[in-house]
Amino acid sequence: MAAIAVVMFFVVCAVLLLGYPVAFTLAGVALWFALLGVGLGVFEAGQLLDIASRVYGTMSNATLMAVPLFVFMGVMLERSRLAEDLLQTMGALFGRLRGGLLASVVVVGALLAASTGIVGATVVAMGLISMPTLLARGVAPPLASGAICAAGTLGQIIPPSIVLVLLGDVLSSAYQQAQLRQGIWSVETVSVGDLFAGALIPGLVLVAVYVVYVLIAAQRAPRADSESLEREPTPSLWRLATALMPPIALIVLVLGAILGGYATATEAAGVGAGGAVLLAGLRGKLNAVELLATAKQTVTVTTMVFMILVGASMFAMVFNAYGGDGLIQDALQGLPGGPIAALVCVMLLMFLLGFVLDFIEIVFVVVPIVAVPLLMMGLDPIWLGVLMAMNLQTSFLTPPFGFALFYLRGVAPPEVATTDIYRGVVPFIGLQVAVLLLVALVPVLATWLPGLLS
Amino acid sequence: MSRRAGEGGLRRGVLAAARAVRAANRGLATVMGGFAIAMVVVFLAVVILRYGFGIGLIWLQESAQYLHAAIFLLAAAGAIVADAHVRVDVFRARMEPAMQRRVEIAGHLLLLLPFAAFLLWATIPYVAESWRIEETSVESSGLPFVYLLKTLMPVAAAQLGLQALASAALLSLGGESVAAPHHDEAL
Repeated sequence: MAAIAVVMFFVVCAVLLLGYPVAFTLAGVALWFALLGVGLGVFEAGQLLDIASRVYGTMSNATLMAVPLFVFMGVMLERSRLAEDLLQTMGALFGRLRGGLLASVVVVGALLAASTGIVGATVVAMGLISMPTLLARGVAPPLASGAICAAGTLGQIIPPSIVLVLLGDVLSSAYQQAQLRQGIWSVETVSVGDLFAGALIPGLVLVAVYVVYVLIAAQRAPRADSESLEREPTPSLWRLATALMPPIALIVLVLGAILGGYATATEAAGVGAGGAVLLAGLRGKLNAVELLATAKQTVTVTTMVFMILVGASMFAMVFNAYGGDGLIQDALQGLPGGPIAALVCVMLLMFLLGFVLDFIEIVFVVVPIVAVPLLMMGLDPIWLGVLMAMNLQTSFLTPPFGFALFYLRGVAPPEVATTDIYRGVVPFIGLQVAVLLLVALVPVLATWLPGLLS
Repeated sequence: MSRRAGEGGLRRGVLAAARAVRAANRGLATVMGGFAIAMVVVFLAVVILRYGFGIGLIWLQESAQYLHAAIFLLAAAGAIVADAHVRVDVFRARMEPAMQRRVEIAGHLLLLLPFAAFLLWATIPYVAESWRIEETSVESSGLPFVYLLKTLMPVAAAQLGLQALASAALLSLGGESVAAPHHDEAL
């Protein structure tokens, strides 16, 4: 009967491709399979009542409350045109260096990623603001597209990111389950803060690698006509301070509170949301219209995320009722090559799923199923989480289905061909895979900081 | 003749009901925007009181929880109206509009509607039990309204089911296109 669970997985994937909303596709298909299971006598109809306590569990989960707060913070910062200011200031500061503007795109992308955590918004903002400037300065379209997409996806990995909150929550319950199943009753825990700490160094390594790459690539490119352009005056210290300091202060405050163990991720998110309102106010961008628009968008994004979570828990409930979890566990543990082979398998699967599914869906649907057996094999939960996050980030950058590419295509000027975008991201995918392998081979990159802080 | 007029009246009635459902769900989602702002304010108050004054008010923390749950449950149907739920777009983008519409109607009636009905069926006994014992917070100084919090689940299920019917009716009888009337900015 566990085979039906596998069939259900593939049926869900097939139905998802029709394009009906993911949340309801997951829930609806799982329901039909649940009815089939009741009809076949595999499980009792009463077992399905469990959905009520599962949904209530989501409603009363304090960690997940960080999601609307972080979304609010990100949307507010995005609407207050923070990105424009940052890019202009950084561009004026480093623009005269060869490749300086590209490097600022990467650095600003990282800063926006840290403060907003929204991939689509970052790529769209940077595509709109910096693409025309980059092209005018004679940067080749592929290089410009690649840098923007790669910088935009940093929002996944650089904390505080919404996806790390979700992943942290899923991993923490998987980690508990893994220990309970092994008969360990004094369970160790892993928190969202641990995952933030774990992702910080790998994220910064990625930023550094990108910056070095764009500087080298700009040197090797045929000499651009940047000299012919009028030089922008070097920005005054004051302008630099007013553009750079507020977002950095907010990031330091939010991250510092979490990493220093002063506040939970949810509390820090609340402070971040309040800080974003304050920042928008200081920049003169705060009014009733902006505030209501921010709130509306926050609600929309939040309900979208949580409906997927509801759909995914329906899916997981039925999948497990058929014995699918046991099947996956046996399959992963039976692989020759032990935990490493199992890890490689899971990572490849996630990478492929990343072409069609969003991060949120993979985190809610796939991670709960595969994480328990992997953790039972003794893999470190933080290291595993960081690898998963980086893996999905890579898959979002990979043509032809990468999400970041669609976002950029939507806003790039017509003279940038789709093939330019595809060609442009290839070197960055290579760099990401290299850093992913580095973290895989040197786990201490992910585990050192959380260990130090705990 | 009179029969045709009767059918036309029925069709008009169904469409009017569908538009009413849509307006109600959209309106509720707008109200949730106010809840989001309230949630930020409440959470700031929680943090300031705790770290500034060493006061931990559990009922205040729990009210943020209630707001949070209300936001994602009661706005879910409105987000269908705004077409804000994520889809896998790879093939959909290349579909004929007629095909998109068929997929949408089938999805509403075969996926969302049954699930909403199931959620209603599964949550009602759970919520009824909570009402019977007038369930309060597990914390002694918490909010005594857990039965109201839990009631959000069947309410959301009913909203989703009605919206599935309304959207399907507007698409099939009302001749509306799949593209939402108010397309929100995506992520």
